Amino acid sequence: MEEIWEIYKGGKWVVSFLTFSIYFFVAASFVLYLYIVASRNKKIRRERLRVEYNAEIEKLLASVIFEDVAFAQIKENKSFLVLFDTSFFREVLTESLINLHKNYEGIYAEKLEQFYKESGLIKDSFRKLKSLKWEIKCKGITELAEFNIKEAFDKIILYSKGRNKTLKITAINACIKLGGTRGIVHLVEHSDPIDDWTQLNIIGAFKKHDIGDTKGIELLLESQNTTVITLGLKLIKELKLTQKVPFVAQLASKATNTTIKYEAQSILQTLTV
Amino acid sequence: MTFFTTELMWFLDVYILLILGYAILIMSSYLVLAYLSTKELRGYLKKNSFVDYDVLLTSEFAPKLSLIAPAYNEGLTIEENVKSLLSLNYNNYQAIVVNDGSKDNSMEILINTYDLVLSDREFHPQIETKKIKGIYVSRNAAYKKLIVVDKENGGKADALNVGLNIAENPFVVCIDVDCILDKDSLLKLAKPFLESHGKRIIATGGVVRIANQCIIKNGRLVEVNIPDRMLPRIQVLEYLRAFLLGRMAWGRLDGLLLISGAFGAFDKEIAILAGGYSTKTVGEDMELIVRMRRYMLENKLPYAVSYIPDPLCWTEAPEDFSIFKKQRSRWMRGTIETLSFHKKMFMNPKYKLLGMLSVPYWTLFEFLAPGIEFIGLVITALFIIFGLLHWHFFILLLLFVYTFAVFFSVIALFSEEKTYHKYPKQADFFKLLMAAFIEPFYFHPLTVYAALVGYKEKIMGTKGWGEMTRKGFAKK
Repeated sequence: MEEIWEIYKGGKWVVSFLTFSIYFFVAASFVLYLYIVASRNKKIRRERLRVEYNAEIEKLLASVIFEDVAFAQIKENKSFLVLFDTSFFREVLTESLINLHKNYEGIYAEKLEQFYKESGLIKDSFRKLKSLKWEIKCKGITELAEFNIKEAFDKIILYSKGRNKTLKITAINACIKLGGTRGIVHLVEHSDPIDDWTQLNIIGAFKKHDIGDTKGIELLLESQNTTVITLGLKLIKELKLTQKVPFVAQLASKATNTTIKYEAQSILQTLTV
Repeated sequence: MTFFTTELMWFLDVYILLILGYAILIMSSYLVLAYLSTKELRGYLKKNSFVDYDVLLTSEFAPKLSLIAPAYNEGLTIEENVKSLLSLNYNNYQAIVVNDGSKDNSMEILINTYDLVLSDREFHPQIETKKIKGIYVSRNAAYKKLIVVDKENGGKADALNVGLNIAENPFVVCIDVDCILDKDSLLKLAKPFLESHGKRIIATGGVVRIANQCIIKNGRLVEVNIPDRMLPRIQVLEYLRAFLLGRMAWGRLDGLLLISGAFGAFDKEIAILAGGYSTKTVGEDMELIVRMRRYMLENKLPYAVSYIPDPLCWTEAPEDFSIFKKQRSRWMRGTIETLSFHKKMFMNPKYKLLGMLSVPYWTLFEFLAPGIEFIGLVITALFIIFGLLHWHFFILLLLFVYTFAVFFSVIALFSEEKTYHKYPKQADFFKLLMAAFIEPFYFHPLTVYAALVGYKEKIMGTKGWGEMTRKGFAKK
């Protein structure tokens, strides 16, 4: 301690400090430079691999969709199994599968869903739900919802009640796709405010997934949470649910909150004109 | 004589410690801000990868925006610029082009291209402005979003105020008409207005990047390049540092004092209540944000200013020194004027973080830094003349500052690499790296000189922007 004080008093620390800092900045810059170069090389390598994998995957999925090749047959190919063991290949395969599934309907979509289940990619998605990282959970939820895995509903709905907003929106969207209004009725008990962005996403999910059965949306109007009531009103308006007019009329006559009353009256006017 | 020498040595010691202390304070604040920015940026990008902006495109509940684009003598590019404004990815918006008494044929071009006719549209001005000659709308349904206002010349702030008066929507987006916007820029700018958690979002701003030598096609940026000329090239690096390592952190702390005038969105009601753009300063963009924040704080209204780190707007940087000098001296005048208008906020706990941190930071490191640097240079020159300079120490100090400057630029490149990766070409990366080594010798002295010119202009009472000529973008 005394030695440090002597250095400070003698003013020598300034030179030592400057010298050390210079070495540190040079070394840190060099390390960052190496990191940037390595990161760029990794990106280039991954991009090259992605192109190679995509070529393989295209052939593979074309045979699944158009030639009815089952996964059991594909598994016989040893080189495929080697690739399938690598996590990056599975990642690219899942992405391709999702993109393709978005573009197909009917029997082709069902074949892709079957492949997703048989290949075990579904297990990867369920495993992602258990991750401690919310972004991995979101990925798993998105995958399961895309392939209409209804069994995942009960697990996913738990995340829609959490505090992480992105995870919550992703989970609600998935629940709407998998269970229609069942995915949002629990919001009636929701105590925190639901912001406009989340509301817009919920409305968007109803429109995107073309949810026909809207039974239960009127329950949102009974919530104690005004933002949930607003969500219910917006849903009724945007989806043009004229069959819900009596519930809106009841709200318009009974609501004590003036904003809600005004919103209900305005929607009533829009729907009854 | 001994007494004199002792006094001198004491003065030298104090001077050295002050210089070193100031340098360490600046460097540490940069590093803290960079750390906060990087952390925030990573969080933002993670969240953003799950955001579906399409919900804003298809919903009638998306925020209604009014774009305000002031134009002065933009005849050469106005046709294309307005076309690009009208083709943005958003539904709920109107575009208001305010011709600020251009002396060229801007108005004629607009009338002919967009089939404009005089409209008898009524509006109730809430901010005083120069006289409006006419409001035009298009007969062509394809341009129904467009409103053109022809007015007497009154400067950019006055033109923006006219836009605020005429805007019909609750949120206004103020832009430079010659900027290139990302097609999803409005979607990203509008989203924060929907995310208020009990706080009113009064403004949102995005990242501005340099478009010199980039390729533009149909009003959209299609290829990103690094300029060959050193002056704009270093500005690319400078913007990366400012936006990726600085403003993101201020946004996180909710202490942002500036939303770039090139592209920012505001809550119209608050902007008007705060008095609109000030025509008394050339830093009207910064001044408005400070005034809006001050208004909210003084009225005890909960609020936030949001910052989006995505590169949403691309602008042309000055390529020659005389234009660069005009721009930077104007920026300095704007800073001085804003800080002086709001000097009451300095270290005033009533203004919370803004008064206790943001305003002192801008005062100490943005306004005073060039002056302190200049004084340091003069004293060093005197030391050399009188043979008092300790060369070993002086060189060490220079190396200390230089290596830090390079290190900080490398952090910015690293951050860009790990996030947006907008410069994927190897050659471009090495160009930027080279710029990091050259900048402290070449660019930094120019910025200090331009800032000193700004001091001088402020003292002499210079007003206005001065002529800012642009070269124009490369087109495909």
